[in-house]
Amino acid sequence: MDFFLELSQGFATLARPDVLAYMVLGFVIGTFFGAVPGLTSVLAIALLLPITYSMDVVPALVMCAAIFMSGMYAGSITATTINIPGAPSSMMTAIEGHALMKKGEGANALGHAALGSMIGGSLGALLLMALMPLAAKASLLIQTPGKFSLVLFALVVIVIVQRDAIAKGLIATMLGVMIATIGIDVMQPIPRFNFGTEMLVEGIDMMPIIIGTFAISEVLYQAHQNQGDLRISLSQAASSIIRRRDFLPSFAQIREIGIVTYLKSALLGYGIGILPGVGGSMAAFVAYADAKRRSRRPDDYGKGSREGIAAAEAANNSMCGGAFVPMLMFGIPGDPTTAIVLGVLVINGLQPGPRLLETQTDLIAPMFASLLVSALVLIPLTLFLLGPWFVRIVSIPKGLLYASIAVVALVGSYVATFSIFQMALALLFGVFAFFLRQQNYPTVSLLLGFILGPDLEQYLRRSLSLSDGDPTVFLTSPDSLFFLALLAVFVYFMVIRKSKQAGIEGKTTVESDP
Amino acid sequence: MAMREMRWRKRLLFPLFLLVLTTIYVGATFQITPQFSEGVVGPRFLPLLAALLMYAALVHVIRRELVSDDESGKGAFWQPVAVVLATAAYIALFKPFGYSLATLLYVYALFHIFHYQQGRPLRRLLYAIAVTAVFYGLFTLVFGIRLPTLLDVI
Repeated sequence: MDFFLELSQGFATLARPDVLAYMVLGFVIGTFFGAVPGLTSVLAIALLLPITYSMDVVPALVMCAAIFMSGMYAGSITATTINIPGAPSSMMTAIEGHALMKKGEGANALGHAALGSMIGGSLGALLLMALMPLAAKASLLIQTPGKFSLVLFALVVIVIVQRDAIAKGLIATMLGVMIATIGIDVMQPIPRFNFGTEMLVEGIDMMPIIIGTFAISEVLYQAHQNQGDLRISLSQAASSIIRRRDFLPSFAQIREIGIVTYLKSALLGYGIGILPGVGGSMAAFVAYADAKRRSRRPDDYGKGSREGIAAAEAANNSMCGGAFVPMLMFGIPGDPTTAIVLGVLVINGLQPGPRLLETQTDLIAPMFASLLVSALVLIPLTLFLLGPWFVRIVSIPKGLLYASIAVVALVGSYVATFSIFQMALALLFGVFAFFLRQQNYPTVSLLLGFILGPDLEQYLRRSLSLSDGDPTVFLTSPDSLFFLALLAVFVYFMVIRKSKQAGIEGKTTVESDP
Repeated sequence: MAMREMRWRKRLLFPLFLLVLTTIYVGATFQITPQFSEGVVGPRFLPLLAALLMYAALVHVIRRELVSDDESGKGAFWQPVAVVLATAAYIALFKPFGYSLATLLYVYALFHIFHYQQGRPLRRLLYAIAVTAVFYGLFTLVFGIRLPTLLDVI
């Protein structure tokens, strides 16, 4: 009951003019970064990370939550208007939304995307608030061997979700783990991998990795793509001028989509959000496929299905709420954005875990409130106020945009610790991440490996030292056994069964070929 | 044929670089001296396990690259190199030149690399001054952060 009281105080904190201003600012930044192709909400929060050193923790977290929610929604804007998803999670929306745009119903598609995002985002935030105390109680039951198996489960899922590139996912994750081993050992006071330099004894900070991986590499990647100006043609922008009333979805259209589609997609999105490293793209894809399978009008899919837009957007915004659960309870980020929010928590001396909810709800509750208010109020409000000018968001010259990002990233990495070394590290990791991206290695896996590696090692060694080196402790401890069994189920369904199916399909193709 | 060979050789460079990096890492693992014994799972265990998994995955990737016809990774080469060089220079000059001058030069260089305001050097300079001023305002005035200055002036 205390938690819900603190939660209501969180809403009161959010109503403070200064905190409210940070939420609105975060929402606007997230909308901008989500809408511009190539920029993501992850990059927005990465750029914000160094600045949080000089901010209070509450506004910083409120701002992060607003960026997360708006970035997820804003991807649908350019997905619909110019068929370029602003964020990877809007791929499905691009298919249906742009088809509607071509029929002259782009505004209506944007309205459905906003409605789906609003319902999904609000439900995800409400589920997060309602289930958080239960999650905290459940997390108290997990002992050290169980924590090891949970982190192992998370790391394996991060690798196997890279469906066609498991080996590359493994390489990126292990690189993250290896970088995390630099510095003082997790159990003994001895330095590792410092190669004789004092600067590496304390290890590598999360900040230059985040700045390098998401900001510097993006600047390098855009320079490499050499696509000239990001501006879309003026004729395309002119043809996209829309009126506010066109955004409103009709009641008949909403009834046709059905409340079940919204609810089921939101639940799917929330559930997928809880899984580590999976993220909004998978949530949108699974909900879209499910809605198509159940649809009364499956033929509309691919030709401008409002139901498809609603399912995908409800799922990817609902994922935002789910992704916070493992991050706050176990320090296991559900997606790259929550991985960076974890950095904000750590910078401010907050440790994830059930105690966070017991002792520091006053700091966390405004963030939950921000998630809900962003989804419920700011998404429709932004569409109403800024909708007619959405397409012009992408009319920013590439040179101006990426020069600004580079300055914020580098100066940001300096001001965090007033260290030139951190700037150099950010550049080094940026170059490294650029090559990873260029060769289709998932850079997010590197960050998650870096975050989870020390936990994995610590829980493994602690479990073994508590059980006198007996490895069967992982099988005799019920919580650990549960996560190992869950891991086996995931590996079976996502790797073994899929390769068997692929093998059968391959054989059939070969046999049917003359 | 020669083109194809060149392409896969280029694609192999990065995994081979990672292979060398992993080998250096393994070498450093053996220099770790534990203060007390924890059995098999000591300070060297996870690094060695990670390296082992890296080797296995890298061998798999290299084998796949050898037979693949994928042409991913197309794009300009000199532009990212120029960005890296400009950024390295910016980092080196950040303290001695101060935020204002170093950032102005850096932004101007990035505008040049991204062909922004090409053929209009004065306008490019004005935009570079504007970007430098905007972020100076953000960091020093909004967030109250002290940035390096040139001779304690700018």
